[in-house]
Amino acid sequence: MEKSELLNGNIMDPAEILASRDILEKIEAVCRRHFSGDNDRDECYIFILDSLKADNFKRLRAFKGKSKLSTYLYSLINSLVIDFRRKRYGRRRIPAVVSKLGEWAEAVYRLVCWQKFSFDDAYDFLRVDGLYQSNYDRFMQEIETIRNEPCRENPTFKSIDEPGSDYMQNVNDSDANPLESLIQTLDREKRIEAFRVIRATTAALPEPDRILVRLVFGSDQPLSAAAKIIDLSASAARKRLQAILVKYRESLLSAGIREP
Amino acid sequence: MGKWINKSMAPAVSEQPDNHLAIEDIARLAEGSVDIAQRDEFLHHLNRCQRCYEILQETLKDISAAGSLPKISNPWWKTKTFYALAASIFLVIIIGGRLVFEHGNQHPRIITATLDMDQELKDILLEGDTLRWEKGPRLNRLAAALHKKGLLFKDLKAAVLAKPYYQKKSLFGPGEVLHIRIENGVAYLEVEEKK
Repeated sequence: MEKSELLNGNIMDPAEILASRDILEKIEAVCRRHFSGDNDRDECYIFILDSLKADNFKRLRAFKGKSKLSTYLYSLINSLVIDFRRKRYGRRRIPAVVSKLGEWAEAVYRLVCWQKFSFDDAYDFLRVDGLYQSNYDRFMQEIETIRNEPCRENPTFKSIDEPGSDYMQNVNDSDANPLESLIQTLDREKRIEAFRVIRATTAALPEPDRILVRLVFGSDQPLSAAAKIIDLSASAARKRLQAILVKYRESLLSAGIREP
Repeated sequence: MGKWINKSMAPAVSEQPDNHLAIEDIARLAEGSVDIAQRDEFLHHLNRCQRCYEILQETLKDISAAGSLPKISNPWWKTKTFYALAASIFLVIIIGGRLVFEHGNQHPRIITATLDMDQELKDILLEGDTLRWEKGPRLNRLAAALHKKGLLFKDLKAAVLAKPYYQKKSLFGPGEVLHIRIENGVAYLEVEEKK
């Protein structure tokens, strides 16, 4: 095997990297995190190994030593998991029956089948985006066709009978941050309005602040990790986050939204 | 995960760009080793690209879980450096151990601090009903959180919470601070509303 100079003059053999038990365990752990079924996990693992070996370890040889090798490998493995997911489930297509119902129905299918939101949430998001105007009861009647369509990525798709009993509600529920908690305490109309205000306020934030809020409040990343990305210390990021929360609070209050 | 917040910030499907960030650039971002000009460009992309954002946030999960590089070369215990270091530590312990022990006994170290309550601390305090907890995952998480916030101490044997903690969920309510006193390896904790 030809040797590659990968990092600051250190000679590393891609085959040796791939043979490392740590790396194999990491691939296994990442696949386990992304997929719940054993078949998916096994195939994910094999797909990543094959992809890393492909074209004489091209992806590993692309490493230029600008980051730590371990971080590069994590990013690489995670990007390959996304590729695998796409390959496994094919290019995502919305069933023709759903498309016939219109843009709103396609959005519901995307939200519930692909993004694993509940039908309840889908209704709210549609209202926010102005894709659906009728009331909730009408919505529940109109989605019957969508419910009957298959969805490989969300096997429980068809088994959701009670609007309030969607299993994803528990998975997604969070009291992790004040914005999320506030939204959850509001009634449907206020919730939709609050969502619009939060979206507009976010859109007006500078790029680093947007990523900070999304990582900490949207993805539950530790503040210290998010701070590093925008080149702030943890304490500076905490202050920044507090200032951003004040902006959200002011926007919500000026739109007449407060906790019930 | 904050589903509403994440949804409100995720780029629309139609906005997904075709050109993605290089994997190594995402890794550099995760490490915080990107210069200012590039960072602005990368953040602009991340705020519009679901794929790159997903790779970044999954990478962050991995590096925070692992905390160390995979060992590619010889095992660390087989290196000359390890043997040299081990010998040095042995000598230091033999020669200086007694002095350190006496010094430690004469001057028990007390650390006090007041920290803004963040979600990580709240989660730890909300984890159980007991007011005192000892060695275990919860105590390890507390120690790690305090280390991350800059508190320097060697080890925690237990933590004692002054009174049961219940989270205040209000965005509009007052913030909270955590008063900490670490003495003889025991962390005494008290939550107070910010004045």
